[in-house]
Amino acid sequence: MNTVLVLQSLISGIMMGAVYALLGVGFSLTWGVMKVIHISHAAFGLVGAFLAYTLLQFWGLDPILSLVVSIPFLFFVACIIYRLLIAYVSQAKEVIVSSMIMTFGIAIILENLMLLIWSPDPRLLTTSYTSKVLILGPLYFQYPRLAGFLMSLVGVLVIHFFLKKTYTGKAVRAAWQQPEAAQLYGVNLNRISMITFGLAVSSAGAGGVAMAFLYSFEPHTHNLWLIYLFLVVIVGGVGNVLGTALAGLIIGVITGLSLAFLPYQWVNLLTFGLLMIILIFRPQGLFQGEV
Amino acid sequence: MVFRETGSRTLFLGVLFLFLAFAVFPWLGPPIYFISLLFTVFLYVVLATSWNLIGGYAGYLSFGHVAFFGIGAYATALMMKGLNLSPLWTILSSIPAGGIAALIAVIVGYPCLRLRGPYFAVITFCFAFVVDLGIKNLDIFGGPEGLWLKSMDLPIDVIRAILFEAMMVIMIFAIASSVWVSRSKFGAGLRAIKEDEEVAQTMAVNAPKLKIQAFALSAFFPGMAGGIYAYYLTYIHTDIVFDVMISILIVLMALFGGGGTWLGPIIGAVVLTLVNEGLSTFVRAELARIIYGCLFIGVIIFMPNGIMEFFKRANREPAK
Repeated sequence: MNTVLVLQSLISGIMMGAVYALLGVGFSLTWGVMKVIHISHAAFGLVGAFLAYTLLQFWGLDPILSLVVSIPFLFFVACIIYRLLIAYVSQAKEVIVSSMIMTFGIAIILENLMLLIWSPDPRLLTTSYTSKVLILGPLYFQYPRLAGFLMSLVGVLVIHFFLKKTYTGKAVRAAWQQPEAAQLYGVNLNRISMITFGLAVSSAGAGGVAMAFLYSFEPHTHNLWLIYLFLVVIVGGVGNVLGTALAGLIIGVITGLSLAFLPYQWVNLLTFGLLMIILIFRPQGLFQGEV
Repeated sequence: MVFRETGSRTLFLGVLFLFLAFAVFPWLGPPIYFISLLFTVFLYVVLATSWNLIGGYAGYLSFGHVAFFGIGAYATALMMKGLNLSPLWTILSSIPAGGIAALIAVIVGYPCLRLRGPYFAVITFCFAFVVDLGIKNLDIFGGPEGLWLKSMDLPIDVIRAILFEAMMVIMIFAIASSVWVSRSKFGAGLRAIKEDEEVAQTMAVNAPKLKIQAFALSAFFPGMAGGIYAYYLTYIHTDIVFDVMISILIVLMALFGGGGTWLGPIIGAVVLTLVNEGLSTFVRAELARIIYGCLFIGVIIFMPNGIMEFFKRANREPAK
């Protein structure tokens, strides 16, 4: 009986973890490749979630299909923001500090735009399959969670194969490992950074939709998501896509198990305490490896 | 340096006069609004100035400084409740409250200050959250209901005036220690750490010790200010005194004015508090925040080294 509970929380943990991973991958890339700590990453995820919500509400479009609209939209917005703002900071002397402050400003602007457009009420993505459950023996899988999980799995794998197999992806990795050498070989650093940033922001949008399958959201939620982002990226190692994915799973499992056995308010405390301990003992992340 | 040999005396007199004017101000019966506005300005000057000791001089960006502020507030409130302190002793109890904040800074700083750059920022950010959640969920700290402090049996404007003076004294000490650090060997050591920690260490700068000292000092004043603030509000709750926005505001104020100088954080705190106040009075909250966000972006693009550097450069350029 107890093993069922453990298994069940393990499963829900893995599902949550995959979503954290999708949300975190882009954050990890911008930090690793561009040395930009993109504080508004989670806010862009929330924009994706709200877009999905609106499309569902007014046109009955499925949240997964809404990505067809929101991913190109966010990519486009991200490219504009890169050209106008981020390109400035990535040449600054103290990239990390400047980028943190600037993107914090972007996060505030996005949060308040969302407040103006969508009001501060908590929202839920209510689809036709929200209350449906897949039952396998003693275990059950909620369909929306399953959808979020599969979406995240596909998203992380797409980004991984983009970086490993495509020409542009290889250029991104080259730019991360040896910026000067990559430029000598004809990699346009500025263009690569823009693509990385656009990719990261649109993956955040997808991650936001996946998160919205799991939790209710409102314009302030991105602050909490941001902490999970830091957790996932630091545990996984900055710039390491598969490490980030694994870290997401680990953190999801820990959260899932502690949700089952601890009062809710202690779960976040445990998570942050864990992040502090990992930071102290292994700031380079738990996994070795490159992009 | 602003204190040049020639201008030093006039400047000193000017500053003295300014502080005297501030000290007299609440007793002239101005509207309460101005007292609380100035109180808030002083509070942020204390916070930004003390943050600057570790964040500006040593380059260790603490994103969890609100923790020390909240710890001070809770320490004072608990001391007042536990020991049944009289009003005068409650105000004085902000000194041990600052001490407690500094002690916690030493304990936390010992492992955390080994981390650098964004890692230090993240761990301090987490630390503030852990303290916040811990206090919220433990019943001895009043739990989610918060704590009430019994106010003084005096008219409201007299209470405000007394606490205003107390905050001003803290501010003067905070600024004085910041000025002292900026001119001392201690400050030189911290700047060396900011430039290059390895080189500093080979040049016989005891980096770990200096960093801990700076961190403790930078926690002491927010702790004291937190104590006074708790008594000023007469009610504290973790959502008020551990608000993440305060942490971030402190960093922005210091960097906006120009970290690494003692004057920068003061200018940053004054300007941003007044801008924030003005905006939230005249336009609706969301729009005010959007303008505020644009301000951050503008600062980074147009004055990456803070407004002080910006105006220094603007003054120099025509002379060329």
